[in-house]
Amino acid sequence: MAQQFNEISSVQPRDPQLLKAAKPKRFGFMNVPFVAIVAVLVAYGLVVQFSATSADADYSFARQLSGVVIGLILAVGISRFDYHALGGFTTLFLVLIVVLLISPHLPFIGVSNKGATSWIKLGPLPQLQPGEFAKVLVVLLCASVVSRYGGRLDDLREYLKTVAILAVPFVAIMTQPDFGTGLVYLVIATFTLIAGGANWRFMVGTVVAGLAFCVLVFVTDPILDSIAGTDVGLKDYQRARLMVWNGSTTDTSGDAYNVQQAMIAIGSGGLTGKGFMNATQSTLGFLPEAPTDFVFCVLAEEFGFVGAVVLIVLYAALILASILIARRSNDLFGMLIVMACVGLWTFQIFENIGMDIGLMPVTGIPLPFMSYGTSFMIMNFCLVGLINSIWVHNGH
Amino acid sequence: MLTAILVTVLVLAVAAVLIFVFLRSKGTIDSGARKGKLNVKHINSVGVAAKAPKVTTSARMPDASSRSVAAAPGDSLKMRFLAVGVIAGAALTALTGKLFSVQVLSGSDYQRQAEKNLYTTVATPAPRGVVYDAQGIALITNRQVQTVLADSDVAENPDVMLRLSAVLGIPYNVVRNRILDLTSGAQSQRVVASDVSLRDIAYINEHIDAFPGVVTQVRTTRSYPHGSLAAHVLGYAGTASSDDLSKAAEGRDIEMGDAVGKAGIESAYDDLLAGDHGQRVLVTDAKGAIQEVVSETDPTKGNDLYLTLSARVQHVAEEEIKKAVKSSTGKAASIAVVDVETGGVLAMASYPTYEPETFVGGVSQDVWDEYQTEASRYPMLNRAISGTYPAASCFKAFTGMAGLTYGFVTTSTTVNCTGTWTGFGDDYPQKCWVSWGHGNVALHQAIVDSCDVYFYEIARSFYRQRESIGTDAMQDFIKEFGFGSKTNIEISGESEGRVPTPEWKAEYFKDAPEQAQWLPGDISNMVIGQGYVLVTPLQEARAYAAIASGKLMKPHFLHEVRNSIGDAVLSETTEEVSRPEVSEANLKAMREALHGVITEEDAVVPLFSGYSWSAAGKTGTAQVSGKNDFAWFSMYAPYKNPRYALSVCIEEGGSGASVAAPVAAAVMDAVMKYENGKLDDSALKDMGYDFEAGIVDSSYAKAAKKKKKSSKKSSTSTSGSSSSSSDSSSSQE
Repeated sequence: MAQQFNEISSVQPRDPQLLKAAKPKRFGFMNVPFVAIVAVLVAYGLVVQFSATSADADYSFARQLSGVVIGLILAVGISRFDYHALGGFTTLFLVLIVVLLISPHLPFIGVSNKGATSWIKLGPLPQLQPGEFAKVLVVLLCASVVSRYGGRLDDLREYLKTVAILAVPFVAIMTQPDFGTGLVYLVIATFTLIAGGANWRFMVGTVVAGLAFCVLVFVTDPILDSIAGTDVGLKDYQRARLMVWNGSTTDTSGDAYNVQQAMIAIGSGGLTGKGFMNATQSTLGFLPEAPTDFVFCVLAEEFGFVGAVVLIVLYAALILASILIARRSNDLFGMLIVMACVGLWTFQIFENIGMDIGLMPVTGIPLPFMSYGTSFMIMNFCLVGLINSIWVHNGH
Repeated sequence: MLTAILVTVLVLAVAAVLIFVFLRSKGTIDSGARKGKLNVKHINSVGVAAKAPKVTTSARMPDASSRSVAAAPGDSLKMRFLAVGVIAGAALTALTGKLFSVQVLSGSDYQRQAEKNLYTTVATPAPRGVVYDAQGIALITNRQVQTVLADSDVAENPDVMLRLSAVLGIPYNVVRNRILDLTSGAQSQRVVASDVSLRDIAYINEHIDAFPGVVTQVRTTRSYPHGSLAAHVLGYAGTASSDDLSKAAEGRDIEMGDAVGKAGIESAYDDLLAGDHGQRVLVTDAKGAIQEVVSETDPTKGNDLYLTLSARVQHVAEEEIKKAVKSSTGKAASIAVVDVETGGVLAMASYPTYEPETFVGGVSQDVWDEYQTEASRYPMLNRAISGTYPAASCFKAFTGMAGLTYGFVTTSTTVNCTGTWTGFGDDYPQKCWVSWGHGNVALHQAIVDSCDVYFYEIARSFYRQRESIGTDAMQDFIKEFGFGSKTNIEISGESEGRVPTPEWKAEYFKDAPEQAQWLPGDISNMVIGQGYVLVTPLQEARAYAAIASGKLMKPHFLHEVRNSIGDAVLSETTEEVSRPEVSEANLKAMREALHGVITEEDAVVPLFSGYSWSAAGKTGTAQVSGKNDFAWFSMYAPYKNPRYALSVCIEEGGSGASVAAPVAAAVMDAVMKYENGKLDDSALKDMGYDFEAGIVDSSYAKAAKKKKKSSKKSSTSTSGSSSSSSDSSSSQE
């Protein structure tokens, strides 16, 4: 029976091109195109960060660089580690995720900022965001849970059970609350379910139900707020961001200011941009949070449409290379890990750039390999290490 | 902290429940598919049920090994990759599309907005032009003052305000009120103190950390070196109000905080005096802090004005009317001196007066309120153009000429004055000011003695002939001398005065019809400058100039305009409004009669006998019910070749001969000295006036003197040919 479905592995040796690619063992420890793409992306990100962090004393380029170095070491380590060993630790992942996500609530180490309890401070270490590291575990959790069904999830009860498990990280992070990261977890789960063979009718039903719930929350939120007397459910700033996004608010001095300034930064870059280190919108402080959430604006302002397209092509290549690795994975668990990563990246890219250009509402979701933040950089390198491990440990 | 712990416990509890549920579900899966688990891990088994009963397709397929079945899961795997790829591709394509529209299609739009963010254009104020008098004496200049400015939010910082109060020596509350003051715009910095000593400025700058939001600046303000001199003519410039901004004329660019002319010459020639703003293009950051100055164009100073006014004559005029008010029952006074030939105003004074300097940078409410009270006698009022008074006997010069012109009297017609006149019937007796009568008087004597009865006779003739010449014949004649209408001098606030007509009376008393009827008494009152007649001193002075020259000129102040590099861009335009229709013979008769007032009238003669120049003039004593008499004197000089005419009115001063005539004599003496180029500071000192010219545009002063001499020569030569009289002023030369 196994023979019949051995399509990928059976096709592979017959394909002369793939045969050629597989033959030289000089780079057996990594998938060259994938690693090369990541290297270019990281380099590109560092160039942009150099400019973005130069104007603001709150950010340090060296710190970003240290994130890359730590990430690199971790990625190499993870690459050498056989991911197969992780397949059976579903429960452990779940416990770890919950512990990580509620750790900011713990006294002494938890740090609150702007109404969210999302950071921890451990002794002399820089402030860390457990929600970022949890993304790696969420990827592993989703892959390990869904892979149990062997690629076909047609039973509604089992499906609901899976969805319930996969919703745990989201619930846990909403205690902080960090809706943006929670959304990332949901997207990771969704992509894993798609790749893991969940019945598409169930999926559509879940998405519709989710959207309906969102609309319900948005509509009833003012009523709930007035009943409760405080800001419950949807936060006022979130509501304002949604209003900006759907065009019902255009107050450019208030809620719509960020988006307005982001659009100006991107638009004023034009076709070829203003040149490296010449982004006036961020260096003069018109663009808030330039190195973190709005780093794409700095890139687009300095390198223009051409630079932006180069980035998008790099992302497309990253996703394509990842999907190719997934296709050539010999087991479902590995394949699902890669697809979960693809989901994470796709969503973060789309949301981050989309909010800069008014396609999406504003949420604090960073841009992979580009945004400032050590936690985020390390997390991305962990994912890179995982994917590379999948390539390495499938006999390539 | 407590809530954090509670939330932690709660979440842990929820997690525990979830884990328990999960473990149970795992257990069921495991128990059912322990065998298949190994296979499950392999992608080769995609589509194979981990737990056979739950997966319907493959379990039910009898020939699961056939190609068709094998293809289905394979396809579905491909479909899944495809689905993920399509989602990712669609997302990236959407981003690219939107980016293309934002960056390439609307790029230039956003570039403009970015530049708007980036560059701030700040207008730097231009110094206003200087105003000089006819001899080059600066009347309005600019002064550099050290100012201390504060941002509006300093008002929320009591420590800083206390320090400012201590350093500047201003009470805390005053500092606070000035910072809270909104008049120069909500965004702009507030002036805490102006004209601060350099020592205090240095202290603040050295300890600037202790004064957040406070800056020091050198500002240019208007300065009036001669204090209140010619205050009513010069007016004042104040900080532009939002009203000024919206009403700015085309081509006049007013920015918040600019000085704008608010009254007098400052207002009338605001567009000439105001310079062009300089421009500083700055790069500022989001907080407005200046990063660099991209370009800077210097402001262009406004044009300088040279007036026909003489500061020295003005000084004499102001001193004299002030003295006259103080030494009599007078309450207020005004005087106007005009050039007979050009209409240029040599002096115009009004008492009481004010200091324009108090308006620099905004007048305080207290001062403003005080200026609006009866007790202060309205010092802001320019009585020479805004004050309307009964013209009194000065008016007889014009009504007399009306009688002559219409042939109702001739120079030899005599009237017997018995002190009481009953020409309009015994029931309506009217008195001459001399109750025992002047006896038989002809026109000359009637003017010299100011006999009312003689003019009542003229009035009766006009009244009797109204059917043939019309009821307004006399009024129309009088209006030819500019009465009853504005002179259209440059500065604002002018009154029309009034020459009463039957139509006017009907309109004026339309709510009281019993009083609206035109009566013979109205015309006999008008003929002696009483009743409803109202004139301004400037109208009167101009009309006397018209007697002297035979033409009515438009009065004006502007002599020359020079731009910032000193080129004359505009010079005096003299405008002849009209020539009153009076024969030369009649004019001559009236001039002789007016000359007679100076040389024959007992009360007037001693006032003028001491001067080397001759003159023609007329006293006036206006009666106003419930008030003391208003003293008038109107004249021109020299009698032959007249150069200047003046008119002075002292409110409630008493009789014209005793109160107004001495003022007129003293001022005209100064005018004549000025005319002969002999009026300088030492001459003024000799005359008993304390005046220092101060800043003088000497090149202009020299040029003006030279010009005067050459024009003087030509006028002397013409006078020599036209008349053989030994005019004193020309003989002096």
